[in-house]
Amino acid sequence: MVVRRSNGDVVESFGSSREVTAPEHEITMTMNGPHQPTNPWAPLTPEQQEARKVVNVNAETVTNTAATDIPGHYGPEQDDSWNLERFRDNFRIDFHHNKPHDAAFSLVGCDASISNAFRRILLAEVPTLAIEDVFMFNNTSIIQDEVLSHRIGLIPLTGGEKGLRWLRWFRKKPPTDDFASQAAYDADGEPSTPSDYNTVVLELKVDCRWATEAEDGRDGKKLAKEGETDPNVRYVNSNVYARDFRFLPQGQQGTYFSGDDAIRPVNPDILIAKLRPGQKIHLQCHCIKGVGMDHAKFSPVATASYRLLPQITITSPILGADAKKFARCFPKGVIGLEPSDESDPDSEPKAVVKDPMKDTVSRECLRHDEFKGKVKLGRIRDHFIFSVESTGQLRSDELFLDSVRLLKAKTERFKRHLAEFEEGR
Amino acid sequence: MSREQYNPAPLSQGGNAGGSSSQQQTTGGFNITGASNTFEDTSRPVSYLCGDCDTKVLLKGGDAIRCKECGYRVLYKERTNRMIQFEAR
Amino acid sequence: MSQQNGDVEMEDDMAGGAEQNGTENEDFLKEEQRLRLLPNSTTTAASFAFDKEDHTLGNALRYVIMKNPDVEFCGYSIPHPSEAVMNLRIQTWDGVSVYEVLRKGLEDLADLCDVVEDKFIAARDDFDASQPNGEAS
Repeated sequence: MVVRRSNGDVVESFGSSREVTAPEHEITMTMNGPHQPTNPWAPLTPEQQEARKVVNVNAETVTNTAATDIPGHYGPEQDDSWNLERFRDNFRIDFHHNKPHDAAFSLVGCDASISNAFRRILLAEVPTLAIEDVFMFNNTSIIQDEVLSHRIGLIPLTGGEKGLRWLRWFRKKPPTDDFASQAAYDADGEPSTPSDYNTVVLELKVDCRWATEAEDGRDGKKLAKEGETDPNVRYVNSNVYARDFRFLPQGQQGTYFSGDDAIRPVNPDILIAKLRPGQKIHLQCHCIKGVGMDHAKFSPVATASYRLLPQITITSPILGADAKKFARCFPKGVIGLEPSDESDPDSEPKAVVKDPMKDTVSRECLRHDEFKGKVKLGRIRDHFIFSVESTGQLRSDELFLDSVRLLKAKTERFKRHLAEFEEGR
Repeated sequence: MSREQYNPAPLSQGGNAGGSSSQQQTTGGFNITGASNTFEDTSRPVSYLCGDCDTKVLLKGGDAIRCKECGYRVLYKERTNRMIQFEAR
Repeated sequence: MSQQNGDVEMEDDMAGGAEQNGTENEDFLKEEQRLRLLPNSTTTAASFAFDKEDHTLGNALRYVIMKNPDVEFCGYSIPHPSEAVMNLRIQTWDGVSVYEVLRKGLEDLADLCDVVEDKFIAARDDFDASQPNGEAS
């Protein structure tokens, strides 16, 4: 058993000596109350504490699914009340990888309601910049104006982080046919006017034409007569890509979004439309900040998800051919084979759990009679393997931090409202 | 003057009062409108696009409907260059 | 539109933006009251309505409030999916005020967020220092 203390020391102890392993508050508790196994109100033993962290995954059922860390669940002597110090001591974050577009880490020691709040905020409440209004000057391509508008709206944009954080909300008027939101909108305040601190302007202006000797070094029409079929050779600008967007800095935006920090699509190679000679697209876009609950284009993540850490317990040794079969019941790397006798490397192989993180909890091993009663599957209730895949506007790890700050901002806001409310009462 | 050469009168910068930094040049991109860009005059030539060779064909009332380059008889009307606003949703 | 509903972070930022751009008062409106007390509430058993909130705050707040030993019952509901309202019910033991319980719940949740943020930054910086390419060895 390993206990982490707030000073960072790791106290390790073996056996069942509770006085060493238990945190301070539990020691005082055991000294105050009689601690006998017969006492129906006795606080949980360390083994019971561990057991209640596991959700059992059986062949056909799941059991012990609900969290029980609520005061009173086990009677008055089990202390499950909120304790910041205890949370700080038990809570842990382990990183698995941290790349701008993909971060994975474990949150250990918190409840599902908390990690779910972070996940939901990541999906729907972290603000990002996206194309919102499209001003179509000309579009003679075969893709219709409204389809094209919808399509370019979904292109993830990026730019200098400092500038993106400097941008403010643009308060947009609701659609004229939505009376309910219009009433709420009018009661709330004035609409914004586009300005450099709330609107980013992009332009897309592409003309497709035949390739000419003078401009492109090849005569597309001549090549076509000779049998050339590749549109990239015959024409110029036959494909419109996200990289063709031009950023038009307004006002102070030039200082925030210059050089490498310019507003641009995350992926320059997104194909927006295909053109043929004579067709053209000319439009300007207004990009504003929004949140994912309004439209998915504002969601800063491609996915943000978590799963519980799988637990595989081999209760009695699985040896020989059975061990190999057992390993095949799991994804690669989950189960390892070791000699059953440590001193003899040639002894019969024994199945050991190597990396439960890689398991998918497929329950395949529970279908075979030879493993009956030898293995238990479960998931750790308070170990969340989080995965955040950013669309590229902000770094994945920064996004998670934003979600934590946003949840805190929510609590602070309602603390203010509660104080205000009590004043008026 | 053809429709393409017509330039609408510059708009007042009224919609742009929000930013103190609004030099007309840098924030002009916010003022997008094509509302006044719509007058019609039947005595002036209208340009069409040849359905075969994509060249511009200027036709007045009473002209033969025929491409001056290749003689093709299918001509397409050009799309209006009036600005239309969409929501990217 | 419900999108610009609850982002305190951005609203705080607005102050800075307005200053920089000389448009005072444009974005400075009194923060609307989003907490209401539902009828038939007493000081030990009350239902609160949180406007423009959902499961995100509802479930997290329910959890920390249930962690309070003075609380007999705490639960939340979203009465109608088309209305951005979240109701939170609190009942307390021994005459403890529901307002105190709610305040403690909000404070505890804020403390929790601070711990998560600190630990996350520490873990991330440790990891980045040991794995500059972002991948675990």
